[in-house]
Amino acid sequence: MSVLSFEFLVFLAATVAVYYALPLRFRWIGLLAASLAFYAAAGWQGLAYMLCAAGVTWLGAIAAGKGNKWLPAAALTLVFGAFVFVKYYDAASAWLNGILPSSGKEPLIPELRLIAPLGLSYFTLQSAGYVVDARRGKLQPERNPLRYLLFVSFFPQMTQGPISEWKRLAPLLASPPRFEPITFVAGAQLMLWGYFKKLVIADRIAPFTIAAASADQPGWLVLLGAALFAVRLYADFSGGMDVIRGAAGLFGIDMADNFNRPFFSSSVAEYWRRWHISLGAWFRAYMFFPLTVSRAGVAVGRAGRKLLGKKAGRALPGAAATVVIFLFVGLWHAASWNAALYGLYFGLTLGCATLLEPAFKRLRRGLGVHVESRPPRWFGIVRTLSIVLTAQYFAFTATPAEAFSLMGATVTRFGFTTFTQAGAALAAIINPMEWIILVISLAILFAVDFMDEKGADVSKRLASAPVFFRWPALIALILATLVFGCYGEGFDMAAFIYTQF
Amino acid sequence: MERVEAASRVNKASRAVVIAAFWGRLACFALLCFAALSYAVYALTPKFEYGICGMVNLYRQKRNTVDALVLGTSLAYSGVNTNVLWAEYGIAAYDLCGAEQTYWNSYYYLAEALKTQTPKVILLDAKASTYQQDYTKRGRTILNSFGILSPVTRARAIAAGTPPGDALGYILAFPQIHANYATVSASDFTFPPGGIPAHWKGFIGADEREEHRRPSLVWTDTEKKINGRQLDYLNRILDLAASRGIPVMVACFPNPDYAADHMYYNALRRVTAERGADFVNFNEPSMRGGLLYTTDFADWQHMNIKGSVTFSRLLGETLLDMYALPDRRGAAGYASYDECLAMWIEEWPDYASLLRL
Repeated sequence: MSVLSFEFLVFLAATVAVYYALPLRFRWIGLLAASLAFYAAAGWQGLAYMLCAAGVTWLGAIAAGKGNKWLPAAALTLVFGAFVFVKYYDAASAWLNGILPSSGKEPLIPELRLIAPLGLSYFTLQSAGYVVDARRGKLQPERNPLRYLLFVSFFPQMTQGPISEWKRLAPLLASPPRFEPITFVAGAQLMLWGYFKKLVIADRIAPFTIAAASADQPGWLVLLGAALFAVRLYADFSGGMDVIRGAAGLFGIDMADNFNRPFFSSSVAEYWRRWHISLGAWFRAYMFFPLTVSRAGVAVGRAGRKLLGKKAGRALPGAAATVVIFLFVGLWHAASWNAALYGLYFGLTLGCATLLEPAFKRLRRGLGVHVESRPPRWFGIVRTLSIVLTAQYFAFTATPAEAFSLMGATVTRFGFTTFTQAGAALAAIINPMEWIILVISLAILFAVDFMDEKGADVSKRLASAPVFFRWPALIALILATLVFGCYGEGFDMAAFIYTQF
Repeated sequence: MERVEAASRVNKASRAVVIAAFWGRLACFALLCFAALSYAVYALTPKFEYGICGMVNLYRQKRNTVDALVLGTSLAYSGVNTNVLWAEYGIAAYDLCGAEQTYWNSYYYLAEALKTQTPKVILLDAKASTYQQDYTKRGRTILNSFGILSPVTRARAIAAGTPPGDALGYILAFPQIHANYATVSASDFTFPPGGIPAHWKGFIGADEREEHRRPSLVWTDTEKKINGRQLDYLNRILDLAASRGIPVMVACFPNPDYAADHMYYNALRRVTAERGADFVNFNEPSMRGGLLYTTDFADWQHMNIKGSVTFSRLLGETLLDMYALPDRRGAAGYASYDECLAMWIEEWPDYASLLRL
């Protein structure tokens, strides 16, 4: 059941009605039943997989709580092993069959064509984090398997995260607050805004980015395609998160934000703290620190100090861990060379930034530049956007060769002649009216995000605005989404991009 | 203790008021939304005369002022000239037709029409018996159902004409028509749709001429199987009409491409005979009534305006013979037919001269 479908809205409305009809102490059971039904609607195989994974991690955490070392490790090995197998087996076998000599018609390594269960990446990381926290003594393992199952399977987050922490989400699920009109309305409002971003903006850009990712196009158009691909991801992902957080808000559950206007970041590190926040937090908590303090990490630090001096050497384990983690982040997005390069690119950028930070500090001090003043901040934003823009070449192409060829085309045959010709080229891909709608929608999105960035909190302001302003604004947003959204007849509505991860 | 309990009671009561007020506001907001969305659906709906406008305009007719209700396809709305029927015979007829109107479309149009009209005869186009698809094409579904104002009847009409699983998109309307924002104009926001006056009776003339030959065929009794769903809804139409005591005339409208339809009409003739309905094939040589295939057709299927005048004259005589329909000219409540005729004469003065007034 797609979050974009009418069926989902009906399902959500029915669940909300049942949820609030139940006494407070039974509401979590209602949510669990709805979550399992939602999961089952996507296929019983996925449900069975998720139940097994939840069972294994629940047992692992219980054992961890009793001080057992091996059972949690076995549980983690099992769920991560299954995750890697389901997600990467086919891609790896296809690659190996391509490079290994084959004797006959049959491929050397059979293709299994496995279909990943809904939310595989999300519930695997979430449940693994729970086991590790139990092992570290950061939480008391839940004795009731059904309560734990709800934490793993809570249906709004199944489609594209966030990857929640037990300490934050579990108490909300276990003892939800009473019905509060303000929370309810805020949830519905957030969902509406999310649908607008997804249907009106992200899906409207999609055909252009597909057409632009072609070697036949002039460089300026490819560059615009890459830039719009970044905007598409932004609208798609943030829209999806708004829908999910809004849906959770209808149940009075305040889910952690997963997206915090990353295009206003003044450094790549900040960008990744604002983009898919829960994924970054997960990798920091469960991979970065273990990697830096591991034996290998300590050895790298020691070698670094010898080679690069005290300060840079101290930063070397962190830089090396960053490269490794971003390689994983890239591969988490997809089992492809492009995804690996995407991650590696960001990892190397951040690793270099970490190593060079002392030098940058000296330079800034020498030039008398204050990081928090406006010009350096804007310079930082432009620099970050340029780095992010370059990464999009790996994101919106299928192979590294294609990505590098398009990068080359952007530089060597930019091909921009006149605005008239450029307009004609753009109109050949998407008609002028669609461009007008896109530009207006983007302006609205940018204005709202800009005001939020300045601390205005547009959503709260709208919620407290007088009815004669609030209602027409909301009705206009509903109409704009329903009329200008890319769905139904005549449009090829795409699933949320992050659902496939 | 008592004070605490009293305070708790007050809190509970005030919370109940807050929640009740919230639901009240939400209901008001939902109503406003519904109104805005309905209006948006109206604006986005394509307002073609052939289908949507015909149905919407029927609601604007005075109650019980239609004696001959014509249901059918483009062959019917281009061939049955209501102005000729009125001017020469005083027959109060209305073309409630739509492009490629299937029998399930006709059934729901009839169900809706019978809420305000009590026709003395229903003229049902035979053409739908030749359609072999189980469901209606996309555009035709919109044409033949979006004019129905009753949400329940409209939903049923849509469900009848679309494959299982597709109906919801049409019932919700937006998924099917929202992309029309690219073509809407100011007139789409106004009522009546298409600016059509209330006295219009559904006739849509084709002002073209295409030379054809008389259909050449072997007049056998061989039958071709009528699509099961078409047959089912034909029976429903006949049942509905019988339940109201209204006779049905199944009419095969003349068209140059008749040879392709003949064997379906043989099957239809048998079915209607079994059900006790009347069947008239205006393609038979004896029923052509002076219709010239060289000058009276707009294309391979549709009569042009000249052809409609000739054919409607023949149809009028047939209707009078078979059903003794009353002459309503000059009767109270039928002025709209005069207005429609005047409008038609003004629009087509050359063809108006063909009328035998």
